[in-house]
Parts: sequence; structure tokens; C-alpha cells
Amino acid sequence: MNKKKKLEPHIFMTPSYLILLVFLGYPLLNCIRLAFSNYKITQLNNVTFAGFDNFLKIFQDKEIAMISLNTFKFVIFTLALQLVLGFILAMALKRPFRGRGIYQGIVFLPWAFSGFIVGLTFQWLFNAEYGPINDILLKFGLISEKISFLGSPKYALWTVIIALAWQGIPFFGIMILAALQSVDAGLVEAAVIDGANAFQRFWHVTIPCIKPTLIVTIMLRTIWIFNNADIIYIMTNGGPANTSHTLASYMFTKAYSTLDFGYASALGVLFMVGMIIYVCAFVKVTKYNQEDA
Amino acid sequence: MSKYKTKRRLLLIGRILILAFFLFIVCLPIYWMLITSLKTTADINTLDIQYWPANPTFQNYENVLQQSNFIYYLKNSVVVSVVTGIIVLFVAITGGYGLSRYKYRGKGVTMLGFLVTQMIPMTLILVPMFLIFHSVNLGDTLTSLIILYVVINVPFCVITMQGFFANIPIAVEEAASIDGCSKFQVITKIVLPIMLPGIIAVFVFAFIGAWNDLLGGVMFINSELNKTLPVGLSSYVGQFSINWGEMCAGGMLALIPSALLFVMVQKYIVEGMTSGAVKG
Repeated sequence: MNKKKKLEPHIFMTPSYLILLVFLGYPLLNCIRLAFSNYKITQLNNVTFAGFDNFLKIFQDKEIAMISLNTFKFVIFTLALQLVLGFILAMALKRPFRGRGIYQGIVFLPWAFSGFIVGLTFQWLFNAEYGPINDILLKFGLISEKISFLGSPKYALWTVIIALAWQGIPFFGIMILAALQSVDAGLVEAAVIDGANAFQRFWHVTIPCIKPTLIVTIMLRTIWIFNNADIIYIMTNGGPANTSHTLASYMFTKAYSTLDFGYASALGVLFMVGMIIYVCAFVKVTKYNQEDA
Repeated sequence: MSKYKTKRRLLLIGRILILAFFLFIVCLPIYWMLITSLKTTADINTLDIQYWPANPTFQNYENVLQQSNFIYYLKNSVVVSVVTGIIVLFVAITGGYGLSRYKYRGKGVTMLGFLVTQMIPMTLILVPMFLIFHSVNLGDTLTSLIILYVVINVPFCVITMQGFFANIPIAVEEAASIDGCSKFQVITKIVLPIMLPGIIAVFVFAFIGAWNDLLGGVMFINSELNKTLPVGLSSYVGQFSINWGEMCAGGMLALIPSALLFVMVQKYIVEGMTSGAVKG
């Protein structure tokens, strides 16, 4: 009887363990194996052990430095835009008003949009000839002639950043709003009695209360932005001349277009190493697991 | 007193402006897509840009529905998303129950494992999965997509489901088992009905995840009749000139199911998303 009880949790967990081991663990192991082989779909008869060749190719790839810098810009600016705007949205939504439910339903909608739709829509908004953004900027006299946003090495990455920021604002809004609503009203009242002004209340009461949520949300979001490749694939496909590629979209292109699976997998292994470091930092910063243990 | 009143009024106006700003930002792209889908080709390709369709027409929608493989894409997307949702739901219910109701060795590691798997980029597993699916003759099938989407959505959904289970007092179960219910009966007859909102939220979450994926489909699917909506529609994007009217019509049609589902169960999805991160 006791033995059966001990087995129970494992019976419940079996489906999740199985799925993740077979369909995630096994492919990841394969990814490592591929990273050390010379694997091109176009030359299947010629698959050989390659040692560190793929990794060497990455470090010798002239585009990698620029793409790494792009990735950095892409993550930082998208995250900053999402965080700041999401925060403002959450603050404005904090107190109830008539129609708040409907308002939230509309404003949170972009979260349910696919990268494909978002990419498509923004590509069309930024269109060089018939897009409204060029038209509006021109009419307000902010530019003197229409700009080919997606076709310019200077602007292409920024159009992608704006599109992804747009899609991600609701996520931050949702998380921060929930955190704000969980702040103990008694604490705020006590601060009022102690004579704290609005700014002091915000800085010394609200912020410390929502800090744990904020950190978890930011850290998870950072990695999701890093991983995002579909909006870039649709809007610019990395162009012009790789100037709007990030590491994730570059990896997809390497696998899908050039069919160099070895190279793509080597990039993937580097991702894994980076992720392990990031997760260690995450656990340390958020003190994840400590409450559960 | 009057100074206090003006301050309050200013704050209120500021708040309304902020809320209006966000409404505008969110609606503008959707509005632009919608009116483009209702314009004639001539009205789209004109330098005198129309912010209201001069000659509104449903021609683009008719073309998309009748002259393309849209209906096949739609059918594939529905099949893939519904099946993914059902499988994920089963795994999430069992896993979520196990995590919320038992203490056992390795639980902390498991939770961390679910967190880490949410961070793995999909592009990372596409290449090895592609090769594995081809080696077992599952290349270019909807099954391969379903497997991919299940794997991607399981970690988050198990954690979310665990949160929903944790909200139900264990006393409910104990009372039922004293009354002679077996474990299976307790779960199916007592616990799951109470959890209906959570169950719907998890299903919708997995459904939307599968519905929205693009790159997995691009990588795995070759044949025209196996393409899902984003994959099928995106194959027109790269071509020399895009027919924006039809693209936007197709996009709007693809958007409707996931947007409707989201609006209907938004409350519960938000609850599920936030319960993990906000410890309130």
C-alpha cells in the first residue's frame, strides 16, 4: 500500500516526462551530434565527422560579429519598449473603470496574434510606396521623401524591433497589472499616513512589492525575444545583406535556406551553452526553487 | 480644496489620454489590415493613400476562399491545433496534478526542468526533429507538426495547470474519498469539473500556440495540401509582388478564430499566466 502511494506521483508525471525525453531530449542530443558532423542535406552521401570545423566556421564567419551586435540591439530595445510601455499600460489599468473588461480584451489582443500576421501587417505599414507610415511622416513634414524602411540597412532592424515590441506590450501589461493588484493596500495606506507623497509611495512601496514578478518576467521575456525568428523571417528575411538578422533568425536561415545542418546545429550548441549560463544566473537572481524546496 | 480638485482632474485626463493612446496603437495596424482587405487593387496601389476604402468590396475575400488552397490550409490548421490542444490538455492535467498534490524527491528539479524547457528556442530542435521525422517516414505530415507543438506547449501548460490544481483545497478530495470514491473518480467527477475554466484556458493556450506557429511548418511541410494557414499564406509573401488585398483578407480570416478564443477566455488565460509568476 505504502509502495503504491510512493509510485503515484510518478505515474502522473510519466506522460510529461516521456514526451519531453523522447521529443525534446533526444533531438537535443542529435543536435550536439550534428554540430560535430559535416551534414549538408545537399550532400547526404558525404556525411563525415567534422570535429570542431563547424564551430571554427562560425568564428570565421564575417557576418557573425554584426549579427551578434544586431541580436544585442534587438533584445535590449525590444525589451525596453515592451517593459516601459507595458508598465504605463498596467498603471493606467490598475484602478477599475466602466468598460475596463472590454478595453483589456482589445488591448491585450496582440498577444494572441501570430508572428506571421504581425510581421505581415508591419511590413505593409512600413511599405516604401503605399504604406501609411511613409505617407503620414511625409504629410507632417518629418521626412522629405519616402523611405524604404525594410530595404535599408539603417532601418530594417528597427522595423522588426517595433513590430515585436507591439506584439509583446500586452504580455508585460498583463504580468505587471497582476503584480500591481497583488500589492497590499494596507501598506500603501500606512505610507499615506506616514506622509509619503505619490512618488515616494510608488518608489518605496509599489516597486519593492512587484520586484520579484518584474524580474521573472523580464528574464523570461529576454530569452523569448532572443529566440524570436518568425517576425524577422516574414518582414525582412534578414535582409538587406544580413543587416536585420539576429542569431536565432540566422540559424533558421542557415538550416532552411542553405541546408547546412552541421553549421546550424553548431550555432545551436553555442545557444545551449549560453542558455545554461543564463539559467544559472536566473536561478540565482530569482531564487527560483527556494520556495518550492 | 480646489487645488486638490484640479490635480485630480489632471490625473484623470492623463489617464484617459494614456488609455486612448494604447487603444490607438493596438488598433491602427489591425485597422490598416482590415481596410486593405476591403479595397480594390487599384485603390491599394495608389500614391493617394486612402484611409477609408473608396470602393469597399469583398472581392479579396472571395478570391482567397475560391481561388486559393485557403480551405485546405484552414482545415489543416484546425486539425493540428485541436489535436495539439487535446494532447497537451491530457499531459497537463496528469502532470499538473502530480506536481501540485505530491511531494516527492526530484520535484524541484522537475519544476526547474519545465522552466528551462520553456527557454529553449524552437529553431534549435527544428533541425534534429526534421531529420528524425524523415527517418521514421513522418516527414511532411501533420503528425510531425502536432508532435512539435505538443512538445513546445507542454512545459508551460503543465506549470499553469499545476497552479490551477493548487487553488483547489485538498479537503475536497479527501471528503470524496471518505465517501468511497476511487482516485480516478475523485479526479474525473469532483476535481476536473471545478477546474473547467483552467482546463479551457490551457486548451486555448495550446490551440493558439499551434495555430500561430510559422517556422515549424515552413521547415517540416512541403506539399501544398499539408500546409497550415501561416505556412500557406507566407509562401505568397516572398514572391515578386504581393497581392496585399488578398494577403490581408487571408490574414484577417486566419486571425478570427484565435482572436475570438482569446477574447472569450482571456480572463482565465491571464489568471493562468500570472499565477505562476505572481505570488500574491
